[in-house]
Amino acid sequence: MGFSVSGAAAIVFAGMFIGFGILYGAAANGFERVSDAQDGRSEDVLDTRNTDINVTSAEYSGDRLTVLVDNTGAAPIGLNATDFLIENEYQTGWRGPATVDGDAETELWLPGEQLNVTVYTSDVPARVTVVTGNGVTESREVN
Amino acid sequence: MASVSVSHMILFIASIVIAASVAGVFTDSISQVSQAIDDRGLSVSENVRTDIEVISDSGSDAVYDETTNNVTIHVKNTGSQRLVAEARFIDVLVDGRYETDVTVTLLDGAESWGPGEVVRLDISPNDGSGLGTGDHRVKVIVNEDEEVFRFRI
Repeated sequence: MGFSVSGAAAIVFAGMFIGFGILYGAAANGFERVSDAQDGRSEDVLDTRNTDINVTSAEYSGDRLTVLVDNTGAAPIGLNATDFLIENEYQTGWRGPATVDGDAETELWLPGEQLNVTVYTSDVPARVTVVTGNGVTESREVN
Repeated sequence: MASVSVSHMILFIASIVIAASVAGVFTDSISQVSQAIDDRGLSVSENVRTDIEVISDSGSDAVYDETTNNVTIHVKNTGSQRLVAEARFIDVLVDGRYETDVTVTLLDGAESWGPGEVVRLDISPNDGSGLGTGDHRVKVIVNEDEEVFRFRI
């Protein structure tokens, strides 16, 4: 009788031990995953706070639109993640002829540098929008 | 004496069987709860990593096309989570009304809506009958991340 009770108790304890082991593993994995995501998000928010741009001029002359944008923030901006819209129309192919402080080869737009975008369009645009990779957006009327 | 041993044997086997059943049910329930916690952790981490921004210019007259009655907005993936560029994964409300006629187009040659990529949403509000003159708002929801875009016609 005594051995039955202790044997049964041993099996139940073994089951509880295994069960709590599984539960702990799942809870620890979930917590780590969420914690990593929050760390990544905090870094993204910090990058966004360090990013600022200013469209200093947008001139249309002939069929040429020239837009000058200053990086007035503290973070470098990747040109390949930067977007350019004319009159709510997404533009592609503008990065090729674009220059950063006269340099046409670079993909990096560093703090204090000026991005020069030249686009040829027959329609007279009213507004242009420049967007950085982390979503900082600046619009300006075309002169 | 033999009858005592047999009865002890029967009780022993019965208690072991019951204990094994209890332990089995317990570990099975715990496994299901663990799976749910794991799935929830994955879902919460995806939501935390998701961030979108509406990058269209609300000052532009080209947001609403009076010929086609379509609202066109551009949405950029500014988080670190790859998103699904399909209308059934993107909830759109125009002036508080859920819109089902939404076309999602990936821009700039992108193959998927990864971080930094932009999609264009062509929304046909009010079952294609368009919007009246005045102020309007479009709400875009992806993975519980909400963005509101206001414009005027």
